[in-house]
Amino acid sequence: MSRFFHGGDSDSDSSSSDEEELYEKEEEESDSEESEEEEEEDEDEDDSSDESVKGTGASRFLRAGADDDSDESDEDEGERKVRSAKDKRLDEVQQTISKIENAQKNQDWSLISAEFDNLNRQVQKVIQSGGTPKIYIKIIADLEDLVNETNEKQKASGKKMNANTARGFNAMKQKIKKNNKEFITEVDNYRKDKDAFMESEDEEELPKAKPARRERALGTEIDEQLDDEGWASVGRGGRALVYTPESILKHLRTIVESRGRKNTDRQEQIRIMEKLLEVANTPYQRVRVLLTIVSTRFDVTASSVQNYMSQEQWKSAQREFTLLLEELDKNPSLVVVEGAEEWEDDEKQPPTDNLLKVPGSVVSLLERLDDELTRSLQQTDPHTAEYIERLSDEQPLYDNIVRASIYYETIGKNPEVGKQTDNINRIVIRRIEHIYFKPLAVVKILEEKLWAALPSRLNSDLTPRGKYTEVDELVQALCNHLFENSEGIIRARAMLCQIYFLALQDSYYRARDLMLMSHLTENIASFDVSTQILFNRTLVQIGLCAFRAGLCYEAQGVLQEICGSGRQKELLAQGVMMQRYSTVTPEQERLERQRQLPFHMHINLELLECIYLTCSMLLEIPLLAQTGSSPDVRKRIISKTFRRMLEYAERQVFQGPPENTRDHVMQAAKALAQGEWKKCQELINKIQIWDLLGNDKDKIKSMLSEQVQEEGLRTYLFTYAPYYDTLSISTVSGMFELDDKKIAAIVSKMISHEELAAALDQVNDAIVFRKGVELSRLQSQILSLSEKAMGILESNEKVLETRTAGTSNAFQRDQGQRGGRGGRGGARGNLQGLARTGQGRRGGGFTGGVLGGAIRT
Amino acid sequence: MATANGANGASAQQIDDTTGEYLFLDQVIRRLDRHLIFPLLDHESRKENIPQERQDDLRLATFSLLKNTNMVDYVSQLYKDVHNSQTAPAEFEKKKQDVINRMAKYEDDTAHLTNVLSDEAVTSQLRSDKVANLKFLEEQHAVTQQMVDDLYDYGRFKYQCGQYPEAADILYRFRVLSTDNDKVVKATWGKLVCEILSEEWESAMEEVDKVKEHIETRLFNNPRAQLTARESLLHYSLFPFFNHEPAKDKLTDMYFSPAFMSTIQTVCPWILRYVAAAVITNRNRMNNSHNYQKQLKDLSRVVKQEVYEYQDPVTEFVKALYIDFDFEGAQKKLVEAENVLQGDFFLGSSTDSFVEAARHLISESYCKINQRIDMKDLSSRLGLSDSEGEKWIVDLIRETKVDAKIDFKAGTVVMNHPSQSVYQTVIERTKGAFFRTQVLSAAVAK
Repeated sequence: MSRFFHGGDSDSDSSSSDEEELYEKEEEESDSEESEEEEEEDEDEDDSSDESVKGTGASRFLRAGADDDSDESDEDEGERKVRSAKDKRLDEVQQTISKIENAQKNQDWSLISAEFDNLNRQVQKVIQSGGTPKIYIKIIADLEDLVNETNEKQKASGKKMNANTARGFNAMKQKIKKNNKEFITEVDNYRKDKDAFMESEDEEELPKAKPARRERALGTEIDEQLDDEGWASVGRGGRALVYTPESILKHLRTIVESRGRKNTDRQEQIRIMEKLLEVANTPYQRVRVLLTIVSTRFDVTASSVQNYMSQEQWKSAQREFTLLLEELDKNPSLVVVEGAEEWEDDEKQPPTDNLLKVPGSVVSLLERLDDELTRSLQQTDPHTAEYIERLSDEQPLYDNIVRASIYYETIGKNPEVGKQTDNINRIVIRRIEHIYFKPLAVVKILEEKLWAALPSRLNSDLTPRGKYTEVDELVQALCNHLFENSEGIIRARAMLCQIYFLALQDSYYRARDLMLMSHLTENIASFDVSTQILFNRTLVQIGLCAFRAGLCYEAQGVLQEICGSGRQKELLAQGVMMQRYSTVTPEQERLERQRQLPFHMHINLELLECIYLTCSMLLEIPLLAQTGSSPDVRKRIISKTFRRMLEYAERQVFQGPPENTRDHVMQAAKALAQGEWKKCQELINKIQIWDLLGNDKDKIKSMLSEQVQEEGLRTYLFTYAPYYDTLSISTVSGMFELDDKKIAAIVSKMISHEELAAALDQVNDAIVFRKGVELSRLQSQILSLSEKAMGILESNEKVLETRTAGTSNAFQRDQGQRGGRGGRGGARGNLQGLARTGQGRRGGGFTGGVLGGAIRT
Repeated sequence: MATANGANGASAQQIDDTTGEYLFLDQVIRRLDRHLIFPLLDHESRKENIPQERQDDLRLATFSLLKNTNMVDYVSQLYKDVHNSQTAPAEFEKKKQDVINRMAKYEDDTAHLTNVLSDEAVTSQLRSDKVANLKFLEEQHAVTQQMVDDLYDYGRFKYQCGQYPEAADILYRFRVLSTDNDKVVKATWGKLVCEILSEEWESAMEEVDKVKEHIETRLFNNPRAQLTARESLLHYSLFPFFNHEPAKDKLTDMYFSPAFMSTIQTVCPWILRYVAAAVITNRNRMNNSHNYQKQLKDLSRVVKQEVYEYQDPVTEFVKALYIDFDFEGAQKKLVEAENVLQGDFFLGSSTDSFVEAARHLISESYCKINQRIDMKDLSSRLGLSDSEGEKWIVDLIRETKVDAKIDFKAGTVVMNHPSQSVYQTVIERTKGAFFRTQVLSAAVAK
């Protein structure tokens, strides 16, 4: 073998250049049956650091032997080796094919897809060592038929495959299309007469040399012609690269066909295409070149080490995308749609008089462009100027989003093309996702610049120029469009974005009602991860909004699930958590990293924690005081996280002055528990992070102070009630700096809810505590025993009821809602709806709720 | 209906709408059937001392409301009133003739079927299976599908003419025969309205049940339609709610059922006024105080939830009493609520019992919270004079069996709140256990 290599290397100059020349010319002769194989071979040659699998090396020589004057013995040796290996490979191919056939019967597309890849790999080698095996042609032809058939059935029945199969199927659809193009003649032959094709002899190898030569001759002719016109430039390796308007399409075809192969130099291709673009003189050509160049730019990223697109590349892609849209806009007779018939004839220009459909997908390119920007933001350090600079790229992208949606609207009006609802939806959701989390002012600037950048004759039906001056109207209009026209994930995302936006604008009730009515809580687990993340973000935003509105109880309830889990970072995709006993595979970790949100979309975690802890404190401390004094009350825990932190803080021997937010809240909680509400207030107000609330800061601080006063009073009463006989209201009002009426109201509430065994003496203006209400240990245990006994009885009844499937009515008794035992019953009822925590990682939360039932039941 | 609303809405704006009552009326009317609006407008125009403009407005509204119905005579009368003219235009006469002709035609069309159905011998042979019935009638009595459909149109026509009892009867017959679900549903709604307007509360309640069942079962997978249907039902059933005593319990339960309550909260929070009024006035008849307490609790919860969306004196009263424990505020709101109630079509008649019950509630929770009460203060809180107040308190003590004494010298009432002993609690809690266990074991043994 080594000798072969040597030989190959030594005359690599001459032979490879020879071959390359051949390659160039072959491009022109694209219909040739052999071209595929030749190219294959050629690429291998191109690769200077040839990792040469044996077969490749050998076959190269085998084939090259026809041209080169290598000696007979070499050829023999190569041939022998190939034979045995070839048989083996054919066997493998046979096996794979039978697997595919089995899978076909089961309609297991994911398996078919996997095996198909396998098959192609094997067949590649076989092809290199000889002609295309007939069985291969047979199977791909059959597969194509099956794919088409299944596709039709899908459309007709409208039934959905399960996700896995569907993914496999779609992949297969793409692959088979691409793949079969290469074997088009064989497949046609096969289709024409199946049996005859299968029976016919394998006519391989022999006729190969001649066509090659012929092509070469033909190629030179063309070459010379081109030279005459003076459009020649010098490419890599001293080849003459010729770009003429006529040859553009052929160049493109070569490039498209080399897509996805190893060892293609994409940079070089991009350079070629940039030149082609300059040369292109018809709109059709320009559109074709632009479509290809943008997608090739994306391919560069996929193959390079760096896992995001460089800014320069992105910008070019973005610019070319704009050009593409402009071009399409100028030529309404050209339409880029998915699934259009390709114009096969590279020699001729397609007729331009009526509508011409070009295969391609503007929306996919756009989505990719958007994703790439996000990815690059993920990878950039948010504290650098580079990040800011990158962010400024959002504006042109946003322009393009709107422009693309206008484009789809326009072509949708053409009856020949049909409505583009799906594509518009995809674009609109992207647009919403660019604005929902931003402050109003920023969106306004975005919109203003957008309309300034768009040519004035362009206008969108969906969001006409100048109609939506207010951002909330804009968001509303966009979301309504999606509610009406889309379904599934896009619709869910639109809802979440709208709710998020509302919450951000402090419309707590609307946001809450929408959230409840969306019923997303029940089925969020069935959505993809990024939607679940959006759901979590929305939930958190509602919580923050409730807090800003002064509704601590609601805020705590909503935030409980996310913050109580201790995995905020992960749930909000704002950083990867390092878990102690993690069994995360590198693959999972990579995915996790991919999901991360770029920094400018983050919700401040420290503020979130601070709010959560403060709310928990306001609820937990009075509760602790209450349960502390009467053992009867079942041990209710509102926030486990808070309790744990409090216990930890209490265990510390030495307590220094508070340093971080958590310290502040913990010490405030301690002060509150001891009735030192002023100290508590002070500590809470000292927390730095409130500054982030901006204008609301003072309002929130005063709200908190008030709450602290009230909860302080409640805590005080719970804690010290056993030590008082009577307590003058005026004394209490002096202590807590609240007016008498307020105190009377609070105390009344506590009495009425049976939290406090006391009564008001109106004449003396005092609280009279009842004596003898404290239970002995035995008594309280008896109480809990009786309660448990009744619980057992109830569950027995329930069991029987389910057994009899509700047929026996003996047990249909009024199950009476267990109204809030103690503690602000009204409020609790409300919140249980809002705040019930679900189970599972991301599910639950926000379940039920009276409103939730509104539409469903 | 749009014109009627327009007229009404316009009137609400022109006239100074101090209490928000006109707006409230507008909201309710928008959800009612055309014919059901009439009693409301009629009630409005009968109110004393309302300005002339309002009177005119209402008359105009009534006119536009009924213009498209077949009650030609009445409409032409209204026309004369509205336009102050002696003669109605000829078109009314023409329309009248037309109506009479159509009536005759319908009568002809359905005569056969009506005859067949009024034949005792035939009806006795009808079974519960509609398809079989239809077949039977078709074979034996040459009744066609077309005839059945005619019956529907005839019923609708009668209803348009304002002949509600007849319409109800015809629709009933149609429903027995028809297999067309959509039309049956429409007929049911139509019959409900007819029964309401002919004040047949018993049958109206039956229809309410039927409609409700339809909503639960047929519209199962169309939440949007369910919501609208519930909304309409909630509004329609206000008529039997406050006019038919026996229906009250049942309807209260219906309004409180989760599905309907969430409908109220989502689309028509103003219904809360009626729910609140119903719950509060129920006090006297309700022997089951536990249930009453529960309803009050539910009510205050809902009121609190909806505070941001809907408030009126009645709900504000509930809020002041049960959420803020602001007795003075509650008293103030009670006075306001009384005014509102008096003007309300549905609640007018129960104003007194509402005020009475509300006073009870105030004093009840006041006594629960306070140990010693100044009688003068309490009387003023209840809006009574001193001597009246004293009498009130004595009555209260007697009625509610509160453990309280009047200290005449100091002018105070002293409440004695005995705390429930632990033993009592345990006994209460385990009260039904034995019986329930017995039932359980019996059921298992079966």
